[in-house]
Parts: sequence; C-alpha cells; structure tokens
Amino acid sequence: MSLLFRIAVYLPVLFMIAVVVVGQQHATAKETLRAAATRTVRWTLWTLILVALMTVADVFVIGW
Amino acid sequence: MRDPSLPANLFARMVTKNGIDPAKGLGWGTFLAGFVPGLLQYQLGQRSKAGLAFLSCTALFFVGWAIVGERLFYWALFAADDKGGLTNGLARFGAMTLPEVINLPANAIGGFLAFDDTPTGLRMMRLPRDGEHFAGWLTGASGMLAAFWAAQAHWDLRLRRDASAVAEGAAAMANPALCAGLSWLVPGLGHAKAGQKDKAIVLGLSVLIVFALGLVFSSGQAVDRAHYSVWWIGQNLFGGGSLFASLVTGPMRSTGTPIDLDLGIVLCTVAGLMNLVVMCDAYTVAERSLFPLRSSGAAKSAAATTANKASQASSETSA
Repeated sequence: MSLLFRIAVYLPVLFMIAVVVVGQQHATAKETLRAAATRTVRWTLWTLILVALMTVADVFVIGW
Repeated sequence: MRDPSLPANLFARMVTKNGIDPAKGLGWGTFLAGFVPGLLQYQLGQRSKAGLAFLSCTALFFVGWAIVGERLFYWALFAADDKGGLTNGLARFGAMTLPEVINLPANAIGGFLAFDDTPTGLRMMRLPRDGEHFAGWLTGASGMLAAFWAAQAHWDLRLRRDASAVAEGAAAMANPALCAGLSWLVPGLGHAKAGQKDKAIVLGLSVLIVFALGLVFSSGQAVDRAHYSVWWIGQNLFGGGSLFASLVTGPMRSTGTPIDLDLGIVLCTVAGLMNLVVMCDAYTVAERSLFPLRSSGAAKSAAATTANKASQASSETSA
C-alpha cells in the first residue's frame, strides 16, 4: 500500500518538476504544459528502465 | 581606453575592456566580491546603495543571531566538534553555515563572537531556544538577501559593460535581481513582474503544490531547521515556504514520527530546488528583455565585429 501510494505521488510530482525544467525554454504557460507532458512521459520511461535494471541487479546479487 | 566617468578600480576596468563576449560572466573577482554585501555597489560608485546593502544584510543576520547565538553553527553543513581539523576551523567562522555564508562578514563575526568549542559550549549548541525557527529563518534570509544584492550589482556591472549593445532609451522590463528575489518569496512573482504572467501561475503552482504535499505528508514536520538542518538548506530556497514553516509548522509540538516523514522532507527540498530554477529563470527572463538571445551565427559575427573594432581602436591609439 505504501509503495502504491508513493508511486501515485511520484507521477504528478515528476510532472511538476518537468514544468519548472522545461519552463526555462518557453515563454507561455500553454507551451510549457505541453512540453512538460512530453518530458514527463520520457522521464517515466527512463524511470521504468531504471527500475527494471535495478530489479535485474537485485536478482543477480541477492537472488529471486 | 578607460571611460573617465567611471572610478579607477579593478571592477571598473573589468567592465569596460573591449571585445568582451556579452554571453560570458563577469569573472571570479566579481563573483567573490559578492560575498561581502555592498562591496560591488561600492566599487561601482553607488555609495548609498552599498551602505544599504551592508546594513540590511548585517541587521537581518544579527537580529536572528541574537536569539540563536552559537546554535546557528550547530546547524552548519558540518557541525563542529572538539576534534579540531579543517572543517572545525571553517565551522568556527561560519563558512559551513548555509546560506548565511553568502553574507560572509556578519557570519564570520557572529561565529567568532559566539563559537565556543569547549565541552560546555558544544553542549550549549544542542540546547533549543525560544523562537529559534524564526530566528534561523532571519539569519538564512540575510544570506539570501546578500545573494540578491550581489545579483543586483552584477546586473549594474553588465549594464555598464554592455551598454553599447543596447539601443538608446531601451530598458529591461523589470530589474532581474528584484525578479529573482520576488520569486524566492513567492514562486512565479518574478515572472509576473517580468511580463510572463500565465507562465508565472504555472511555475508558482508547481513549486507550491510540491512544497504543500511535503508538509501534508510529514504532518508539518518536514521543514524544521533545528532537526533537519541540512535538508533545510535546500528547502530555504523557497523563502516564503520556509518562512511559513518557521512561523506555523516548525514551532508545533510533534506527537510522534509520521510514517511518510522521509517523503515529506524530500518533497519540500525538491520544491526548494525547483524554486532555485524558477529564480534563475525569472532573472534570465528580465535580463533577456534587454539582452535578447541571438542565434550562434549572429553572435559569432557580432563578437568578430567587436574584436575588429577593438583591434582598430588599439592600432589607432598606438599610432
């Protein structure tokens, strides 16, 4: 339950971080939000890859 | 050739040399001088502004210091102990206390006057004081204020250095240092002042929501300089949030450790770091209203033209 809760918090926070990061390259809110959505999807994919790699490393080091 | 209207000193020469790329910074000398509030203004010949900068930062620091005293140095990046060494030496003069270190003279004097490395003194450091949350915010605010005064002086230096690149009568939409300072207190306010009102709302809400989530998940315990002093350094980059916490949530008595305290602390620190980006962007937005970005090709040709003019001028002078 705690893990699910944290994942539920992670995505909106990731989006808001993306808003601030991409906001530097855009002048209007509309452009910023659109670019932040794209960036959030990209970062989510990187997150999944990272989690998968860590799980694989976990299996190798600790075992299933 | 030196502009005779400017004072003959290192900084004046620094900003009037020819052929300088406007995209480059003002150098390490200017950066380091920013650690003494008002010194850059003094070098620029702005005597009253220099006095105001020094007095405002020093007063803010010592109002807080009068309450917390040596405890301030217990909240440093590395708290001092009785073992000696480099970090202890640096902590003694406040060089490890962030963000107060930006207000270097007051912080060093405060450290020199209050620091006591005897066993009794080191025990006293751990003793909570009444009103320490707000007092800690005040000393921290003195460091941030020193940073904004330094940013103001950098802007003035840039205006003098690159005055030739600005059309006559043109002015920035807002003062960049003021925009950064406003964003420190209320995220997005600097952007609103610099003319990007809708973006200001989006950026401001993003920082506020992440900070508020952190406070909610931690039952208000996440932002507490007395307990989580290293995390507080990052959280204080959102000055309005850390002020609220120092007045409202910090002094609250805790009835236990919330299960998501770690999440709350991280979120509030992330919000502070997000606001650092917002502050820098607010400065840049205001700066670009006077010095817009050029394409790399245009910038190179402009730099080459400036360099040619400089070499022509120097050959004419030598002839």
